[in-house]
Amino acid sequence: MTKKYASDYTAQEMIVVAGARTLEDNKVVFAGTGLPMVAITLAQLTHGPGIVPVFEGGAVGPKLSRGLPLSVGGSRTTYRANYLLGLNAAFELTQRGFCDYGFIGGAQIDPYGNLNSTMMGDFPENYQNPKVRLPGSGGASDMACSCERTIIIMVHEPRRFVEKLDYLTSPGYLDGSPNAREKAGIVGQGPYRVITTKAILGFDDETKRMKLIATLPGETVESVQKATGFELIIPDDVYEFEPPTEEEIRLIREVIDPQGYFVAKKIKE
Amino acid sequence: MYWTGLSPDEARKHLANKDKSKRDKRMSLKEAVQKYVKDGDNIGVGGFVDCRQPMAIIHEIIRQGRKDLTLTFPSEGLSVEYLAGAMALDENHLNIKRLELAYWAHEAFGISPLFRYLAENGKIEIEDWSNANMSARLKAGAMGIPFIPYRSPMGSDLVKTNRSKVIDCPFTGKPVLLLPAAHPNVAIIHVQEADMYGNCRIQGPTFVCPETSMASAYTIVTCDRLIEHEEMTRYPNRISIPYFSVDAVVEVPFGAYPGNTHGIHYFDEKHIVEFRTACDKLRKGDSGPLKEYYDNYIYGVEDFGEFISKIPYKQLQHIQKIESGIRLEAGYTAL
Repeated sequence: MTKKYASDYTAQEMIVVAGARTLEDNKVVFAGTGLPMVAITLAQLTHGPGIVPVFEGGAVGPKLSRGLPLSVGGSRTTYRANYLLGLNAAFELTQRGFCDYGFIGGAQIDPYGNLNSTMMGDFPENYQNPKVRLPGSGGASDMACSCERTIIIMVHEPRRFVEKLDYLTSPGYLDGSPNAREKAGIVGQGPYRVITTKAILGFDDETKRMKLIATLPGETVESVQKATGFELIIPDDVYEFEPPTEEEIRLIREVIDPQGYFVAKKIKE
Repeated sequence: MYWTGLSPDEARKHLANKDKSKRDKRMSLKEAVQKYVKDGDNIGVGGFVDCRQPMAIIHEIIRQGRKDLTLTFPSEGLSVEYLAGAMALDENHLNIKRLELAYWAHEAFGISPLFRYLAENGKIEIEDWSNANMSARLKAGAMGIPFIPYRSPMGSDLVKTNRSKVIDCPFTGKPVLLLPAAHPNVAIIHVQEADMYGNCRIQGPTFVCPETSMASAYTIVTCDRLIEHEEMTRYPNRISIPYFSVDAVVEVPFGAYPGNTHGIHYFDEKHIVEFRTACDKLRKGDSGPLKEYYDNYIYGVEDFGEFISKIPYKQLQHIQKIESGIRLEAGYTAL
């Protein structure tokens, strides 16, 4: 069977496809709310039936065949789960080392993969009176610390890719200095991939700064750099990411998120 | 160091002096809230985001009005949004002084308009933690220890403003985060099943409800179904909260509506959107729709049952029909 590529898809659908493809089968993946849940569901329905999702509400290893969960604590997270307690149990097994990947998003990201999902404004001066108050860490900061690797999903815009965060909620490589995470007492290895509406990014082994790995269809090295508020490392072997297949887009639209709860039809540019 | 709610020593003393007899704890919600929720209390809010939210208890607290509340929870949505709505409409009737939280929003249903409203206008004191931290703080409270070590999220700005402390572990010599125990004055929790003494059987994720109850001085429980004690104790392993940790039991079918109660009913998206839209309008300067909502659904009714009576039967049937969580296996016997 030859692969048929989709001719019509949105940036958010592309991000979900890229996220899903990044996940390996038979790995334990701690799912943040929103797009990560959609990507995990897609991966489980395609190449990764053995992916074990962990939801912080307490469900571990469910089948996601009852429909996309609208909450990481919702009823659809528990179908045929292999373990089901509560938040403490979910985070404890993460801290112990049972979670291969944490899959999270944020409002802002810096060159070292640190994320902000707490507030916009001056910190600490305006902490109690922020310009914009965001929902807060939830479990993201714990996943970023204690899952073995972190996969980050982001809308790619200059205002979101910033040299300095307004607030550091979820640790990446902190200031990028050698062994910064270990010195801080963090157990997980840190960010592995950043999947955005324009590119797949990773981190330089030495400097821990963000580097471009692949451009998504329709994007170029220049267009990705232009949408990034700091300088990216551009290696020689940047490649173009394979476009979504018709089947992947069909699954997202018809099976996983037909109502568009998380996969918005349009993205505010 | 300061404690909100009870200090570990106060919490221990309180519980040591408490009546642990197995007695009928059924009462009206009105009575339960009058008895156990006071001005200035630290309230441990049960549930998680928009799931198994203690909505009936929240409605009653709003009707009665309380001041200077501290709210303690990892992640909440509807329950705290409703409290915030009452505060936004009339701060003299109800107000939240302080939040100890990890997350306040509605996941698929969007961010919280009123958390933004309260925070951006400097109307509340905020202490940010992570979900694991808030859960562990309540667990420490439930364990009767003054603090608990954790391995996240060091390196984040969270630890710069909250009461956690990074120390070198006395055994490994490596940095570890210490979290103070949380002991709310009262826990408010909705469960699927309880018996008249307060034993609770939670279906689906337990969230942090058992720990929150065990850490708190008092616990008010609402349940979708009150079941016989004999039935409850047929499965001792399935008792999520033991009776001696509970002070009031109220049977309130749909008590977490319009949120999701595992095995009972799914989210009522229509109603959540109606409420959230009114909250969003208030944030943008028009308090009319929210006032109308509260007058109609909360202040204009005697109790939560009357509120549920205003929801079309077909809508309630629909959210029961689309619920995918495992159904309760245990039988339902009226007392």
